[in-house]
Amino acid sequence: MAKIDLSINGQSKTIDVDPQMPLLWAIRDFVGLTGTKFGCGIAQCGACTVYMDGKPSRSCVIPTVAAEGKEVTTIEGLSENNDHPVQLAWIAEQVPQCGYCQSGQIMSAAALLKDNPNPTDEEIDQAMSTVICRCGTYPRIKKAIKESLNL
Amino acid sequence: MKNIDSNSHVKGTSIYLDDIPVRAGTLYALAYDSSCAHARIKKVDYSTAENYPGVIKIITHKDIPGQNQIGGIFPDEPLLAENDIHFWGMPIALIIAESEYIARKAKKLIKIEVEELPVITDPREAREKGHLIFPPRTFQMGNMDSAWDQCEYILEGRADSNGQEHLYIETQGAYAFPMENGSIRISSSTQGPTAVQKTVARVLGIPMHKIEVDVTRLGGGFGGKEDQATAWAVMVALAAQILNRPVKYAVHRMDDMRMTGKRHPYSSDYKIGLSKDLKIQAYEVTFHQNAGAAADLSPAVMERTLYHATNTYFVPNVKATAYCCKTNLPPNTAFRGFGGPQGMFVIESAIQKAANHIGIKTRDIQAANLLKEKDEFPYGQIVKKCEATNAWYATLEKYNIKELEEEIDSFNKNNVNSKKGLAIMPICFGISFTNTPMNNARALVHIYQDGSVGISTGGVEMGQGLNTKMVQVAMHELSLSSDRIKIETTNTTRVANTSPSAASATADLNGKALEIACAKLRERLLECASNYLNIDLVELNLKDQVLYHNDTKTDLSWDQLVTIALADRVCLTENGHYATPLINFDKSIEKGHPFAYHVYGTAIIAVTLDCIRGRYEFDYVKLVHDFGLSMNYAVDIGQIEGGLVQGIGWMTMEELLYNDNGKLLSNALSTYKIPDIYSVPKIVDIESLNSEGHELAIRKSKAVGEPPLMYGIGAYFAIQNAIKAFNSNYKNSFDAPFTPEKVLMALYS
Repeated sequence: MAKIDLSINGQSKTIDVDPQMPLLWAIRDFVGLTGTKFGCGIAQCGACTVYMDGKPSRSCVIPTVAAEGKEVTTIEGLSENNDHPVQLAWIAEQVPQCGYCQSGQIMSAAALLKDNPNPTDEEIDQAMSTVICRCGTYPRIKKAIKESLNL
Repeated sequence: MKNIDSNSHVKGTSIYLDDIPVRAGTLYALAYDSSCAHARIKKVDYSTAENYPGVIKIITHKDIPGQNQIGGIFPDEPLLAENDIHFWGMPIALIIAESEYIARKAKKLIKIEVEELPVITDPREAREKGHLIFPPRTFQMGNMDSAWDQCEYILEGRADSNGQEHLYIETQGAYAFPMENGSIRISSSTQGPTAVQKTVARVLGIPMHKIEVDVTRLGGGFGGKEDQATAWAVMVALAAQILNRPVKYAVHRMDDMRMTGKRHPYSSDYKIGLSKDLKIQAYEVTFHQNAGAAADLSPAVMERTLYHATNTYFVPNVKATAYCCKTNLPPNTAFRGFGGPQGMFVIESAIQKAANHIGIKTRDIQAANLLKEKDEFPYGQIVKKCEATNAWYATLEKYNIKELEEEIDSFNKNNVNSKKGLAIMPICFGISFTNTPMNNARALVHIYQDGSVGISTGGVEMGQGLNTKMVQVAMHELSLSSDRIKIETTNTTRVANTSPSAASATADLNGKALEIACAKLRERLLECASNYLNIDLVELNLKDQVLYHNDTKTDLSWDQLVTIALADRVCLTENGHYATPLINFDKSIEKGHPFAYHVYGTAIIAVTLDCIRGRYEFDYVKLVHDFGLSMNYAVDIGQIEGGLVQGIGWMTMEELLYNDNGKLLSNALSTYKIPDIYSVPKIVDIESLNSEGHELAIRKSKAVGEPPLMYGIGAYFAIQNAIKAFNSNYKNSFDAPFTPEKVLMALYS
């Protein structure tokens, strides 16, 4: 066990955990932000996607200690009032079905648009291909990403 | 209306099982499961694990106060193994510890000695050896003996379809809290709250009224949480009862994949006979269902395979037999379509084979045999409000099938190492639980003093948009806006004795019950108004939260009516009970009228093959679907898009692999691939069939959960047709999924 200083969504928090514990558990169980989800535990599904210094990262395989000194952003911190263009587009296009993977989808989509404000279909596929949705909301994810460019 | 959960979903504030705030003193459960598929247990040594710091207790079958039995249909599945192991991943004991991490450490310290026994994974081998869950069933119509004489073409063959992992992104889980006087409250990620309640009561040896099961929503179910959510809930309830502390179990992905059953693999033999004019005169099929090690829902799944053996075709002479084969795989279970897709795959294979043999288009046979009004299904139900032909021709005309076929022919002429193929997949799916007594539901509605409304039904929200549809039903019946209506969690103390959310029928059954409850309350409020205003009841009506006298707006708002009713001491709580009328089935003769109605549709699907690598991409799916009068088009289209992709996944990329010892090899997301955004057909065109709906569907909006999955079956045949364009020597074989590896072999066979 060790004390680790985390900065999540602009707030500092010190937690006493096994430094090798995946960041996902720190975020969910120790900081209490449950919008980020466990899906597979091996960085294959993307449900646990958060940003570390703005870069999308799979929190289920990142040791908590690796987040020290970095700014972590979760779905709860993506926008102040749930009004990030991607969130607005997600509601407008009615993307979520069960909703469970959607924070990972939204975080990945927002990261794509930050780097590439006008992605082609191929670039959308490439960026989103590692985030799995078993409900199969992919056609709407594509539509919503394009829609968000207008919001 | 937009999905009422959208806002919380995109904020990350929707609550799933693992998001429930953890109560102080909570312990964590972890199953210790078998590392072999069939064995006799000689000795298990828990001593080191029990003494590991932080381990509170290791629970075995000896600690169970009630029955060690979780079988839903047949009592053939222990919660924890006693003397025998029947599948790889079978729970033997339950480790209860201060943390999941500690439980995992302790699990490695348990030592077991077993005497391994022969393992069966093949359903045909199980049948040969007489290992059946229950006796075979046969659906028959016409006269098979004379039917073959009328046939110009007779083809026989075999068709296999593999299983499918549900891969709900939220894994299985449950959380139990001990309450006073030996009661237990359980939060469960289940499609079947009553199944959980009943089974917990049986295992804990206490009455059902001491068990409260509560469900907020599921992060996907797809059938995988209909019966198989129960075990985890029973485990935490058992531990909570024994230790009098809250106990939680959120199952790890790899544990979930290893320990839970999946869609049933089927291995089937068919014989199809056609007359010269391409009418299917006779169809004989034998299904070998790989049930796994216990019954689970297999008998019901097998029944639906028989119901859908002839898909959307009329065949005058049919003999369909199904064997529920007991193997050493985890007990297989419900999965969207519930055996229907497996049955349909076989007849579509038979038709494809016949068409190739005769040298005609597959669609010529399909079109010649579509169901018509007053035809009879092999199970005795007469076809009514038939949309088979309408859906077929609407699709072919709307999307101009000839032009599509010409495009493909032209592409194939001009390309050597890339070929396209097209297939048409018509569907007909019966709506109702095939077990007639399950077709009932209840709803509970409260109107509160401020005029706001709370609704409970027996249905579980799992992404199918149920809650949104229930709000729409209440809005319509009570003339309220959506912000005045709240959908409560699904809870066995509010709505009891529920059927699981399954069979595509959840919105129909619960919606109809809700309509009844709301109509009673509406009537009651109007009676109050009638007394208060001294106006005849028939002249009063509610519209937009205001009382109307004939067509004239009155001064009384909804809120005022509620106040008047409460002052009159009128009950503003109501129950609705609904049982689907007309349906019946007599198993002794395998005839009856099991379905409230059928859903139809037709899809065209096209694929492009990379003939060097065996890879493929779906160019488009163009379909016309029988929504009836869709009450929420956005929700329903979402079900089509998602079901279609799941069906394509089952037919193409999702490959479950077990080794000969019964060990699951495709046991993680790295080895079991489900469709990603690349897998979606580049174009998905969905049109609504112009139909009047059905009065047994909620507001004439037909059930939509399962039927679209079966459009995906067309993917298999589209690939086959593309292979034939490359390799004229290719002989059809039917063995889904058509993975790129199998495609490559076929291209050069």
